[in-house]
Amino acid sequence: MNTVSRVKNLRTFPGNRILWHAVIVGVVWLLLLLLNNNIDPLYSSYLALVAMYATAMFGMTILVGLSGQVSLGNGALMAVGGYVFALTSMNWQTVPIFGWPWNAVWSMVFAGLGGILIGGVVGGLAARLKGPYLAGLTLGLAVGVPAITNRFPSLLGGENGLMLTVPYPQGGYAAAAAAEATDTIDPVAEPGLDPTIAPVEDQYAELDLSGFDQGVDPNAATSAEDMLTEGDLLTTEDLTNGNDLTLESTDPAADPSIEPGIEPGIEPSIDVAADPTGVTDSFDVGFILERWQASMAIAVACLVAFAAMNLIRGRQGRVWKAVRDDPIAAAVVGISPANSKVSAFVVSSLFAALAGAVFAQILSFVGPGAFGLGLSLSLLVGIVLGGRASLLGAILGALIIVWLPELVDGLAGNRGWPEQITNNAPNLLYGLLVVAVVLAAPGGITGTVRSWVDKSRGNSRSPLS
Amino acid sequence: MTNFIDYLLGGFSSGAVIALMALALVLVWRSTRMVNFAQVGQAMFTTYIALTVLQSTGNWLLALVAAFGAGLVLGVLVFFLVIRPVKNSDTTGAIIATFGVLISLQAAAGMIWGGDPEGFIPPVSNAGLEFAGRIWPVSWYDILVWSVTAVLVVGLTLLFTRTSLGLSMRASAFNPEVARLSGVRVNRMLITGWAIAGATGAVGGVLIAPVSTISPNSFDILLVFAFTAAVIGGLDSLIGAVTFGIGTGLVISLVSGYTDASNAPVVALVLLAVNLLVKPDGVFSHHGARSV
Repeated sequence: MNTVSRVKNLRTFPGNRILWHAVIVGVVWLLLLLLNNNIDPLYSSYLALVAMYATAMFGMTILVGLSGQVSLGNGALMAVGGYVFALTSMNWQTVPIFGWPWNAVWSMVFAGLGGILIGGVVGGLAARLKGPYLAGLTLGLAVGVPAITNRFPSLLGGENGLMLTVPYPQGGYAAAAAAEATDTIDPVAEPGLDPTIAPVEDQYAELDLSGFDQGVDPNAATSAEDMLTEGDLLTTEDLTNGNDLTLESTDPAADPSIEPGIEPGIEPSIDVAADPTGVTDSFDVGFILERWQASMAIAVACLVAFAAMNLIRGRQGRVWKAVRDDPIAAAVVGISPANSKVSAFVVSSLFAALAGAVFAQILSFVGPGAFGLGLSLSLLVGIVLGGRASLLGAILGALIIVWLPELVDGLAGNRGWPEQITNNAPNLLYGLLVVAVVLAAPGGITGTVRSWVDKSRGNSRSPLS
Repeated sequence: MTNFIDYLLGGFSSGAVIALMALALVLVWRSTRMVNFAQVGQAMFTTYIALTVLQSTGNWLLALVAAFGAGLVLGVLVFFLVIRPVKNSDTTGAIIATFGVLISLQAAAGMIWGGDPEGFIPPVSNAGLEFAGRIWPVSWYDILVWSVTAVLVVGLTLLFTRTSLGLSMRASAFNPEVARLSGVRVNRMLITGWAIAGATGAVGGVLIAPVSTISPNSFDILLVFAFTAAVIGGLDSLIGAVTFGIGTGLVISLVSGYTDASNAPVVALVLLAVNLLVKPDGVFSHHGARSV
């Protein structure tokens, strides 16, 4: 009885909580890495996108779900992270700091710092605002921040954005030609055991992908491949996976050729952000860049999830909920509503910036079109559908955001619907689903399931708690 | 100096349209105390309807009337299908629901009319008029925009100040419970508010369409400008919405003229942020400061 209740009610044992969270995140991380290593690289690219969206949506869980501040600006905060990552990794890559060469980890640290800074500024403004005012201000952020890139075309690349130099680990998921490479430490299996250390430190080589042009330039694939012929540890699957793909591609949901390529700045719909084919098309399918990207995105998502779990289930989570539910009562018991709101914004902005940095690496590109209003809206849609106030809801939301367009494409591919219908169908579904969820099941998927469970146990609580 | 005057004159047209959109936001705010973020989505949709009418009949006035009617209907539909069921639940949900409507409308418009920007032929010349030896940045179409806006604003003012319907609407906006006790059918007033707001936004959409192009997302930026104007005006003041709508149009025109058009959203953002910091309740607002 005693041990059972311990496992069931983690929050009553604060001493063990962090350990438990570490174990949960570690196990999930390990499982995800196993999954990543054993699925088709095409699915790995979807996995990377899901992990990226989940990272950003953990921030939305805290901001919208726990703190009760509706933000449409998280896409813009992702843009901050993405651009900081791009600029630092492009311009400062040769400077060693504390013995480390300037690489993706450092760039991500800077992206995170940029997110914290912007989050503090926006949060300071936001703490003075309520409901619709805040939504309007963050809407302005979502429209205004991508427009800033046009202001500094030489630095930020204007409407065309910046092509990134994607750092990748020398010993990681490289091409098949180096299958003989042996017996170095596996950089993938290790970090799953220790969730506090990023798995990708310190072993980057610089890979110049700046020549390839988002699924347009066919020559880029070869040049990228040529440069990826050193060190490889995941030897066994490489070639077989390349072959598998031809079999797999009969599955219409997985066929990337159905989708239109990424057109930054031209088509600011939700699809743009969710569309991975700009990357996958550019590379030969035998190349395992997708797998490396997925492992990197998973690592970031797991670290962020670990932090978010501890925040949400700890004191700070209760503070956020208290201010959300009744700011005056919270102020009476000594909680500062303003501080609570600002801290939620800072945390959410940090997560968004990290997700933006991951997004930049997945796309090897940052541009105003990729971080437009559509991205912000899709984050909001995902969190509402999955469940506003739970991390699991964020993960489910990320899955929906990535999977629904593929599902529609799959359906449309069989029936020969016109492109006009197919391209807009996911958004129409999102919009209608959001309205339906708000009207009928405000807790989203997780909130609704939890209220069913509670009801069957005879408890009652708000679906949003 | 001539530049300055040109930019100012050029800003009046976009200012008039922003004022109409801000008016629509204010009308909704007055009736249900919420911001309808789907407002420009509704305007975009009705503008597409107007475009279809214009293309099939060639009659601009008919297109305007069609948009006006469609705006009324769409406003009532959104209110009945989305706002009324959600109104009593959390405010967060209400805001999110309006964004759901926006996403749906944009996707539906993309499905029906395609995503490519389409031109909207103005009924009168869009070229600058020649007067006193030089060409001014004012066209017959601009004059038409000003006139339609003026007619609409005067009409709304008369409606609110000189008719019993307007009095009932003001009463239910001011205090729904007391209004209900005095025999005002508050629910009907809410519907009327949403319908008028939808029609006002629809007229704004038809007026701006020839100046820009129309695509499912082309009015997004207008939402930011209109929201800025409405908030600076106090969100419940019709005068404030019109004044600051035109003011926002002028500022944006000046900024676009002297620097670059891509700065306009950033400037709107700065205006909004400064206003929310300095005078969060707006310039023309009547109610007191918030407690928390």
